[in-house]
Amino acid sequence: MPTSASASPSATASASASSIAIAAGRNHSDLHARLISSDGEVQLKALRELKNRIIGNRTKKLLYIKLGLVPAVADIVASKAETIADHESSLLVQSAAVLGSFACGFDVGVRAVLDAGVFPYLFRLLSHPDEKVVDAGARSLRMIYQSKLAPKYDFLQDKNMDFLVSLLNCENENVTGLGASIIIHSCKSVAEQRALCRAGVLKKLISLLDGSLSQRDASLESLAAIIKNNVEAVSKFVESESTRALSSVIELTKDRYPRTRLLACICLIVIRNTSPCYLQDIGIKTKLVYLLLELHDDPGQVGDEASFAFSSLIAEKEDLQKLAFEANAIDKLYNHLQKGVLHPKRFQGILLALADLCSKLENCRSKFLSLKALNLVTNALNHDSSDVRAAACICLRSVSRSIKNLCAGHFMNEMIVFPLVQLLDDPCTSVQVAALSALGNIVIDFTTHRSAFVQCGGMKQLVQLTKSMDSTVRSNALRALRNLVFLAEKVCKEGIFLELTASSLASLVSDPEPFVQEQALGLIRNLVDGCMNSVEFIFSEDRIILDAVGRQLRNASKAEIGKQGMYVLNNVARGNELHKEAVMHQLIPQTDNGMQSFMIKFLQSNDGQLRTAAVWTVVNLTFPSSPGAFDRLVRLSNAGVVSQIESMANDPCLDVKLRVRTALGQFRTFGIGST
Amino acid sequence: MPVRVAESSAPSQVSGANSGQTTPPACTLLSVGQAFSGTQNVSSSQKDEAWKVNVCIQGCDLEHGYLCGTMEALNVPMADTPVVTFWEGEIVDTKNYTFFTGKWEAKPEDDIRHWIKFPSFAPLLSQVEVDGGKSLDLSNCPYIFMRWKEQYFVNVGTDCGLTIAGFYYVCFSCSDGSINGFYYDPNSSPFQKLELKSTNEGRFSFSSYELQ
Repeated sequence: MPTSASASPSATASASASSIAIAAGRNHSDLHARLISSDGEVQLKALRELKNRIIGNRTKKLLYIKLGLVPAVADIVASKAETIADHESSLLVQSAAVLGSFACGFDVGVRAVLDAGVFPYLFRLLSHPDEKVVDAGARSLRMIYQSKLAPKYDFLQDKNMDFLVSLLNCENENVTGLGASIIIHSCKSVAEQRALCRAGVLKKLISLLDGSLSQRDASLESLAAIIKNNVEAVSKFVESESTRALSSVIELTKDRYPRTRLLACICLIVIRNTSPCYLQDIGIKTKLVYLLLELHDDPGQVGDEASFAFSSLIAEKEDLQKLAFEANAIDKLYNHLQKGVLHPKRFQGILLALADLCSKLENCRSKFLSLKALNLVTNALNHDSSDVRAAACICLRSVSRSIKNLCAGHFMNEMIVFPLVQLLDDPCTSVQVAALSALGNIVIDFTTHRSAFVQCGGMKQLVQLTKSMDSTVRSNALRALRNLVFLAEKVCKEGIFLELTASSLASLVSDPEPFVQEQALGLIRNLVDGCMNSVEFIFSEDRIILDAVGRQLRNASKAEIGKQGMYVLNNVARGNELHKEAVMHQLIPQTDNGMQSFMIKFLQSNDGQLRTAAVWTVVNLTFPSSPGAFDRLVRLSNAGVVSQIESMANDPCLDVKLRVRTALGQFRTFGIGST
Repeated sequence: MPVRVAESSAPSQVSGANSGQTTPPACTLLSVGQAFSGTQNVSSSQKDEAWKVNVCIQGCDLEHGYLCGTMEALNVPMADTPVVTFWEGEIVDTKNYTFFTGKWEAKPEDDIRHWIKFPSFAPLLSQVEVDGGKSLDLSNCPYIFMRWKEQYFVNVGTDCGLTIAGFYYVCFSCSDGSINGFYYDPNSSPFQKLELKSTNEGRFSFSSYELQ
């Protein structure tokens, strides 16, 4: 009967579960008792049993960590580290192996081993007379150093550097491997890179390139750590022993082992990214592109890491993106994306690689869109992993740089915009920032779909995020709003202004962060552009925004802030007489405190674009048909602005020169200025 | 701006890019958000006709010699509404593009025949005849020469009875933002003239966006 048939297995399952739990508890107390036994043979047997149980089994590792077995094993190492008896050696070998196994690829295990205080004792094992003990200690420490949780090694202390060099000079492969792992883990600063080069580590690592498989891999990875972003170290490496080192690395890109090929590629990418003068040959560049694309086929860790290496090869480099495009990189990466459920790291890597490919070249974006890859990327916006969600946003950000597709309204649809708007609430800030940057591009929609974005709550969310504690979020939210109001209709601008309010916009102009100020000014510039009524936005709440802009321009430290602020004033200056006078008030305050107008400073700036913005403002203020133009021109002349503009008749920047010509022509209609 | 369909023909796709030396300067009047209005003369042997045209610049990437925007034809006889097209422009900067089109069924002699209609082109002619203008220094030239190619209809279908098969030879004046152009399509009336002026006159306003 169905009823009784279903009840029976369930009851059996429940009984088995409790018996397993009881058995685990019994096993634990039994194992624990045996680990702390005074009989070495009993301990040894318990260690072997424990090692066999936990190898490659995270669940078991976690169970035994929770049951407190790690400190018991650590005690064996601590108590026997200095002994040299044969049977004690076996205990040390087995207990070090168990600790290494707990730490292998499992941060909770690493934490437990470190918390047990056994880390210094494991180092002591490296001086043990028994080679097997040394080997087991080195293996165990290597496992720990593969985790970010391992304590940072201080290379800058002489004794530590001597010890590291002794590790690298050791005959034992695991000990040299440990030396390399320490470098990979802890070498981060230029000072550390220099210290390692001075100590001859570079030379030693180069010699290990001819060693065993594990030595080659360890050497390649630590070499990359030492030369990364360090021009001096790169030239030392490349020029060492008549470029033999570089040839060896290039040769290793053909190795039969995928991991070695990947590490050799990464090493070459680090060299090229640090010192672009090396590896300029198109052959090697093409080879790296093909190799890394091929390595994506590896089903394991190498395949997962290949996309990240590929990204670092092509990021910001148009020539390499072009090569990758010609190598059908987009099709190949898209094919991987289509392979059903991917490991989150691989998924993230492929999305970021596609983002880099589509970051500059329109033909890459067209290819991407023609493959319908967009659907896969938008699905990834809802992925469980925050890294994948952020990568999907970054990919959308790159693809949406296509003005051609923005104009066609290809991104402003609910499939893309709704999940992106939802991600503005993501608990993870990096996802929030990435979603904001993608939306910032997408809202530059030249069709009439902006209202859809406003209706789905996107605009309100953006306004909310301008109040974030995180300055990057504030800046990105302002950029998105700035883009949203670019050439927008009055009604759209009014909605945003009402939500944002004049007072918050004024305080964003005075934000402590210059990059936030710049975006706030850019937003105001676009708000007051367009129909003449738009100028009025800046006069609400007793001109609070205009005053903030003026204050910011008087104190502007960056040309970019000057440019945006100056264009705000310029766009207001094209308005009616009241508008023009309000701008004059900012340029030449009534109370003359002897300070030179910022206008003169901007006209004398080294930045041609800033000079252009300043001259345009004068052109708008002195347009001959405006009733107050003459009076304003006199005041500008008294403030030294006219003579400054006269001196710019041969400005090296053509745009400035042509605007100066227009301004001088207007001055002459009033008989002001030299003829 | 679209013109009436006469006979359809697919343009050939040959790269026109080449390396060069000095590029034309940036000009605020040719930046994103700038708008222009004027007419395109579409006269044929049968009748005189001019359509009102509005243009808005929507993208500008000087490094790649790229410009794009929309073109709106207002009183197109066979259309109920204004017809909007999206176009992409190649800026003749001697780096990304020369005066020779190398595609869209335009041979160097077609190019010269059109460019020479712009008075500002006259001083450049002799060098352009030699190498398409690759070795010219355009950094101080107050005119920017471009080709605008319409890519798609924004608000009507392709069955609207209009064609965008051709392209424009364009000359932009950096001084006052005026634009002159000639439409070229071997299957349409020759030398249809486009004349546009900046809508900013006397009230110069500039907006901007920032892609990330």
